[in-house]
Amino acid sequence: MSSSTIVVIGGGPAGLEAARGVAELGSRVVLVEKRDFLGGTPVAENYAGLTPHMEEAEPAMQRMAERVLSNPLAEVLLSHEVTSCEGEAGDFQLGVAGPDGERKIECGAVIVATGFQHFDPGRETQVYGYYEYPDVIALQDLEAMLKDGHVVRPSNGEAPERLCFIQCVGSRDRHIGNEYCSKVCCGVASKEAIEVRRHLPGCKVFIFYIDMRMYGYWESEIYWPAQEQHHVQYVKGIVTEVIQRGDKLLVRGEDTTMGRPMEIPMDIVVLSVGMEPSVGTRETAKLLGLRQNKYGFIEAASPPLDTVSTSREGILACGAALGPADLEDTISSAGAAAMKAVVLVRAEEPALAG
Amino acid sequence: MTIPVDELKRKKERFERDPETLPEDFHEQLFQLEEDGEWTIQRVPEPYVEVPTKYGRSKKVPMAHLWHHKSCGQCGHIPGYSTSIFWIMRKLGYEYEDPRDQTSCTAWNYYASATSNAAAQAAVAMRNFAAASESGYYPLIHCGTSYGHYKEVRAELLRHAELRREVRDVLATLGKPFVMPEEIVHYSEYLYAVRDQIAAQQVRDCSRVAVTVHPACHYYKLVEGDAIYDPDVYGGQRTAVVTAVAEALGAEVRTYSTWFDCCGFGFRHILVQRDFTRSFATQRKIEVMKEEANPDVVLTHDTGCVTTLDKSQFAAKAHERNVGVAVLSEAQFAALAMGAHPYKVCQLHWHSADYRPLLEKLGIDWEQAWAEFQESLKKLESGERQYLTWDDVDG
Amino acid sequence: MTASAYVKVEDVAGYADVPLEEKERLFEQVRSDPRFEDYLYGCYECGICVAACPSARFYDFSPRRVAQACAREDAELVYQQMQEDIWECSQCFSCLRCPRGNNPGGLITIMREVAVNNGLASAREALEGYSRIIYKIMSTGTQVSPDMLQPDAFPDWGPEVRDVSENLDLWRRALPPETHHTTSTGWDVSERTLVELYLIWLRTGALDMIKEVDEGLHMILQEVMEERLEEEGIEA
Repeated sequence: MSSSTIVVIGGGPAGLEAARGVAELGSRVVLVEKRDFLGGTPVAENYAGLTPHMEEAEPAMQRMAERVLSNPLAEVLLSHEVTSCEGEAGDFQLGVAGPDGERKIECGAVIVATGFQHFDPGRETQVYGYYEYPDVIALQDLEAMLKDGHVVRPSNGEAPERLCFIQCVGSRDRHIGNEYCSKVCCGVASKEAIEVRRHLPGCKVFIFYIDMRMYGYWESEIYWPAQEQHHVQYVKGIVTEVIQRGDKLLVRGEDTTMGRPMEIPMDIVVLSVGMEPSVGTRETAKLLGLRQNKYGFIEAASPPLDTVSTSREGILACGAALGPADLEDTISSAGAAAMKAVVLVRAEEPALAG
Repeated sequence: MTIPVDELKRKKERFERDPETLPEDFHEQLFQLEEDGEWTIQRVPEPYVEVPTKYGRSKKVPMAHLWHHKSCGQCGHIPGYSTSIFWIMRKLGYEYEDPRDQTSCTAWNYYASATSNAAAQAAVAMRNFAAASESGYYPLIHCGTSYGHYKEVRAELLRHAELRREVRDVLATLGKPFVMPEEIVHYSEYLYAVRDQIAAQQVRDCSRVAVTVHPACHYYKLVEGDAIYDPDVYGGQRTAVVTAVAEALGAEVRTYSTWFDCCGFGFRHILVQRDFTRSFATQRKIEVMKEEANPDVVLTHDTGCVTTLDKSQFAAKAHERNVGVAVLSEAQFAALAMGAHPYKVCQLHWHSADYRPLLEKLGIDWEQAWAEFQESLKKLESGERQYLTWDDVDG
Repeated sequence: MTASAYVKVEDVAGYADVPLEEKERLFEQVRSDPRFEDYLYGCYECGICVAACPSARFYDFSPRRVAQACAREDAELVYQQMQEDIWECSQCFSCLRCPRGNNPGGLITIMREVAVNNGLASAREALEGYSRIIYKIMSTGTQVSPDMLQPDAFPDWGPEVRDVSENLDLWRRALPPETHHTTSTGWDVSERTLVELYLIWLRTGALDMIKEVDEGLHMILQEVMEERLEEEGIEA
């Protein structure tokens, strides 16, 4: 029997936008979230300010959550996971399990919004010492410190005088197998660089990169201010080694502009880690029988003109579950997924429209 | 919700590899080619130990029935190195073959002068592997460069059908089978695998010895996935060989800021352009080690590295550089810890940098030991004995 | 002869400039080596190879420039590098940290083989004083034998070299491994093994490579090998 309910799997920004869209379009939506809170990675990883305008992440996610929670057509299931999926487009039976037990949800369409996880620097080809040195941290670690209002060297609790970012960690690498660019890290690192410079005006900030990729308005909103107002130093030449000497971290790379090897002491090294499919994305893809690309992300059926359909009819995906995405991409694809899902269920049940 | 720094440090305590991220295993193609009739794979014999490698794959290291693929540089001018490897294996009770039917891998010459080509290099490798398999023993590679080079040859043979064909034809004219070992095993991987057995036979106290480790480029940078990385050693972020053995013996392993740097051997440079080698060994390795770690001994696991770091110190001293530390292979160090004679087994008289302070720290009376060695030499000189034998050195 | 943008005048450079067609011919030999496509994907000029490279610290040498020259198929620049740069590489393969999977050290290996095969000036110069090593390895199957440790050959290795050379025979007999009682080779290599080695050099064309850089050495090696093969009754 067909159903006009839509299930959204994942309660991060993509899932929240998709669920809100579905509900405000007048269809019933059930949002299934594994964690016991909404907001996804920006909340779980304690992001400080969203790129590019540095709006505070947690309140922004809370506002998105509010709009879903307050809508009578939306049901939110926290601490729940999807355990099975049967049926076909228009007529799915989704098994979910939570603290109160299991139940089956009848739905006409499913939107997968299970997102990404940060690349684990332990797998990096270069030698960055993330697991050896307390002062080597990742982008999200710095976000947490910025949110806390204290950027310090984990080794001694003191404010850093020299801080650097190393780009492309875990991305664009044939050995690791992540041959793609993670899209957001140049912008995010530059944003964090600006935040650090504001927070600690005495701290020199460097960014070591292969290419600087801030597309569209991010160029003028982030890149130029970072250099011109905040004097962040951009060095074209990625780093190969981070190793301790005395109480500093030595960062080794080539300054390709000058054409010579460089070895520079730093207090904090921030690894700009890339995006990989989350455990939830990989598990959900397998459970729902969705084709994944060779990196494990859910494969969009026919980009660039259809970015949200998957290999299985009736199941859509949005946000970083499909691949590296910034928030603008995520919100846009969530809207597209909501629209397509609603169209699908209404086609099956025209009497229920409106 | 804020996160204190402690939470961050706790999160970074230990690297746990995600099993979903295992890369392709070359063994699949290795065995497929055997099925296709292109070559035979010599299986790792039992008993063997499984060791972890860089991307999480398990590697088999055989314990016994080993065919010692010797290093020309070791046997040529630091023979205590190879002697120690044999001595340890004898002490642990594993029988082995020391073949005459073995050529040098010839990679030193290849990397130095390029007076060879891919087919010749591959043929030399496969000829040695064939000799091992014909003897019924499994090859154990002594030199770091041989090991790295053979890994490279394996990758090329897997990749290029044409090269396989050419090399197979050359071997056929020699009447030799076309055999590839299941794993290419370096002796330092063997010592890693038996380090607990070595420690169980330890008789000399190493707890007062400070060690710096120099890992050989060719061991872990060539075909980088096929090298030992152990989550309990450097958190799995640096290769575990040598260090794990030193730690098992209770020595204090200290790090320094040029750990990943090449020693500067250069293959050609150390022979005909030594200012490069010497500068590198002194300024990027020995001086940094002395300044930052002040070791009693530098341990490494490759012929070229021992040679470079040991022999470069003399001229550097004349320039009043901060040098002067013993350089040994971990095999010689482990042998000393197990009670080996510093001259009859470890043959330290072939070394250049002063090793006597190290021997003192190990509680070895080197004057006495040298006198004993001189006694043995007298017997050889007089013709009373022809050679020093394994029986003489309690092997 | 047109003055190239890259190549210096002969008496400054130490090698002759050659016509573009010759440079392109040499580059084609490099590019058509079966390993070339394994060693060069694309290069996004990240500089990791240079950062890891020991030779880059000592010489004006850059594995990145080598990879770039090959990727750009710049025959002029590749020729210059074959004459000026490639012998500075220390073949450590630290450059294999390249995230694209390139192997600049491997490209240099190919370029060196081409330089040797074509008797380029840089190859001859780099291998000057190296011929006894080639002779040793090709004719005995071991390299740097004990009897090569002479104080005048290695004065900078310390006084122990003199001790070794003065006591060589005695000290070699004082080695427990039975195969180590040799002085002119690293270990005792069997006759049959040597024959197999010679056949490998001859049949893979490796011996012929020597002809371009050292004719005298080539002649000696060829004689030694053919004589031994004749003794065993084998066709070269």
